[in-house]
Amino acid sequence: MDERCKALWAKLSAALKPQVSTDTFKRWFSAVELIKATEDEVTFRVPNNIYQFWIESNHMAALQSAITIVCGAPRTVRFLTASESNGEEIGLTEPEKLEFPSNTRTVGSGVSLNPRNTFESFVVGPNNQIAHAASLAVAQAPARTYNPLFIYGGVGLGKTHLMQAIGQYVWNKKKTSKVMYLSSEVFINEFIDAIQHNTLVKFRKRYRQADLLLIDDIQFLGGKERSQEEFFHTFNTLFDGHKQIVLSSDRPASEIANLEHRLVSRFEWGLTAELQPPDIETRLAILRKKARALQIKLSDEVYQFLATRIRTNVRRLEGALMRVASFASLSGKELTQETIEHLLKDILLEERRQTVTIEQIQRKVAEHFDVRLADMTSKRRPASIAFPRQVAMYLARELTKASLNEIGDAFGGRDHGTVLHACKLVKKRMKEQDNIRQTISFIDSALQR
Amino acid sequence: MKFTATKEKLLEGLQQVQNVVSTRTTLPILSNVLLQAQEGGVSLTTTDLDVGVRGKFEANVEKVGATTLPARRLFTIIRELPSSEVSIEVDGKNAASIRSGQSFFKILGLPEEEFPPLPKFENAKVVTMRQKDLREGLRKTSYAISTDETRYVLNGVLFSFKENKLTLVATDGRRLAMVDIELEFPRSHEADIIVPTKAVTELQRLLTDDGDVKVSVGTGQIAFDLNNTLLVSKLIEGNYPNYKQVIPTETKERVTLERETFLNCLRRVSLLASDKSNSIKLNFTKNNIDITANTPEVGEAKETLPVAYKGREFSIAFNPEFLMAPLRNLSEDEVFFDLIDEMSPGVLKIQTPFLYVLMPMRISS
Repeated sequence: MDERCKALWAKLSAALKPQVSTDTFKRWFSAVELIKATEDEVTFRVPNNIYQFWIESNHMAALQSAITIVCGAPRTVRFLTASESNGEEIGLTEPEKLEFPSNTRTVGSGVSLNPRNTFESFVVGPNNQIAHAASLAVAQAPARTYNPLFIYGGVGLGKTHLMQAIGQYVWNKKKTSKVMYLSSEVFINEFIDAIQHNTLVKFRKRYRQADLLLIDDIQFLGGKERSQEEFFHTFNTLFDGHKQIVLSSDRPASEIANLEHRLVSRFEWGLTAELQPPDIETRLAILRKKARALQIKLSDEVYQFLATRIRTNVRRLEGALMRVASFASLSGKELTQETIEHLLKDILLEERRQTVTIEQIQRKVAEHFDVRLADMTSKRRPASIAFPRQVAMYLARELTKASLNEIGDAFGGRDHGTVLHACKLVKKRMKEQDNIRQTISFIDSALQR
Repeated sequence: MKFTATKEKLLEGLQQVQNVVSTRTTLPILSNVLLQAQEGGVSLTTTDLDVGVRGKFEANVEKVGATTLPARRLFTIIRELPSSEVSIEVDGKNAASIRSGQSFFKILGLPEEEFPPLPKFENAKVVTMRQKDLREGLRKTSYAISTDETRYVLNGVLFSFKENKLTLVATDGRRLAMVDIELEFPRSHEADIIVPTKAVTELQRLLTDDGDVKVSVGTGQIAFDLNNTLLVSKLIEGNYPNYKQVIPTETKERVTLERETFLNCLRRVSLLASDKSNSIKLNFTKNNIDITANTPEVGEAKETLPVAYKGREFSIAFNPEFLMAPLRNLSEDEVFFDLIDEMSPGVLKIQTPFLYVLMPMRISS
């Protein structure tokens, strides 16, 4: 506690005393220490967490009013328990040790680029052709063609792989270039850290010096307003300085919840490339390539089986391959369909779970439009119910293998003509109205998850 | 697997375990109940990976075996069955045929091997106590558990085994309830553990007034063995705050109150405590307490309660819900209410080792 804090605490105590009973003051506040006071925040150190819980719950009003009397305005109050604050002191010295030489491949994160994630090891198929071509173009001529490049797609489809490939390509070509690869979560954490330790200038300098900034999983920025603002400025600085920015997300920028419009529009500025789940040929190619890299030999039937059964996620596909291969080499047994099925029981179950049923669709749609599930099958048809029902029929047609008649039956015994009409109508309205298209694709992706 | 049982027994068994069934859908097996038929009875197990319960019911087992069936569905079916005899037969593919009177149901289950086993308790510290004691103790404390998830160490009841005493504590930062239970155990069994809310709630349902409960404390987990039923739970990691700090060392005034009369007064007056301020005021005068509440633009209420009181005249305000909660959960006729002044916590006590500390609210005027 330095002199300034001591003096402030003395004033605060004086203002606090008349507001709480003597016993309360002695019991709860005599052991409190004021350790930090800034423009808008005061930090107290308390012996243990019961002090924090009890003061927060019971004496916050008194404390705040004392602060208002002494400082003229309320402040954000933070508590550190003794054990925590020790940790903090250690933390304070740490950033000094982490000096980054100018040619580091990764700056600011503990995550380094995985040397296995290169363009050579990426299997290109119709599902990811555009994303791959765009990434390659960006890597060959950073900040020249597409800036920013925004890659989005589901889990395990290769977003990280592509980003890291760009990073390695650029760095391998020119070892002095500053490549930064990190996830948005790291960005947010470091930003918070910087605010805490008053090292914002250093933080900004570090990010704004990058030649190539790769940020993974940008969707985590959603709802973090101050981080978004900081990122907005970082983005602008880099963009104006003709530095390449590559972002990835699990959904299109416009669908990231609570993301500011100015960021959305900037993300969509350059090129947006989608990664879709691979088709069967691509899946087979991935398996073979991976098998070759790992020097595994398996029969064609095994590849075929894995590729047909695991459809949605490349990471899972590779995991399954690893499991089958290690089983084969460890047990030395013949691989039959049954043994594989038994071996991959959990993965296959998970895959099966992702096949959507009509009931799930009805439930999701009803939930989204806030109508009752019963309305999906009822005879009532005001527009507020009829449209959601039509959307559900459309999705049932798109996402399940059910026939028109089966869908009609599931919606309270309607005939196939009604379903057909619903599908046509929804398709038409999707073409005409952007917001409807977005709503439906949102429900669609929620169902597939 | 094949067995027949009375509908009543089966239903009772399911009721004991079905509350634990997971609502999370990430692992489908967790919404199932594990049925294991042995000679003379069937055991039922459910778990959500944090809390698990195993119960037994009598049945005429024709063929031993085990399977898992969707718990909620099974329960609703059994409840609706017309006859008092139920027979359940499970084939090799875990499809169960349920017959009762004229009814027939077939429901599909999952294999027994997929069901996560309940944790084992080896080298656990075992303490045996009366079910009644634990039940009473939890009843007197559990309402004060915090629901604020950011203070996760408070989302449960502290079981503190120390000096031949089990102390149960619950607090949410505004009030604190504490009970001591006399108990004999070796020095080596002393420990402070936090049992999560869900386990406490389930345990309260299972405990009865007769018999003993065997408490086994393992690393990070606890088991309560109640003869026929077993409840296991993970413990909350972390240190429970030093609750003793909260308890006032000396109090100035004491009133003795009839619990039910006091509770009824509070209940009536609280009808006019506004949602926003939600406080009721206790005015202490000689041999009298006036309990008042008022909500601007709605109205006001006042009750007069004659008591033996000779102390200083003063007013103190409390959240009525917080003041009524312990009164509802105690069974004693008489309670003692100890106070210091209008800004210091009030303490409720009874003849037996129980303590409830409650922070007053600020009186605006």
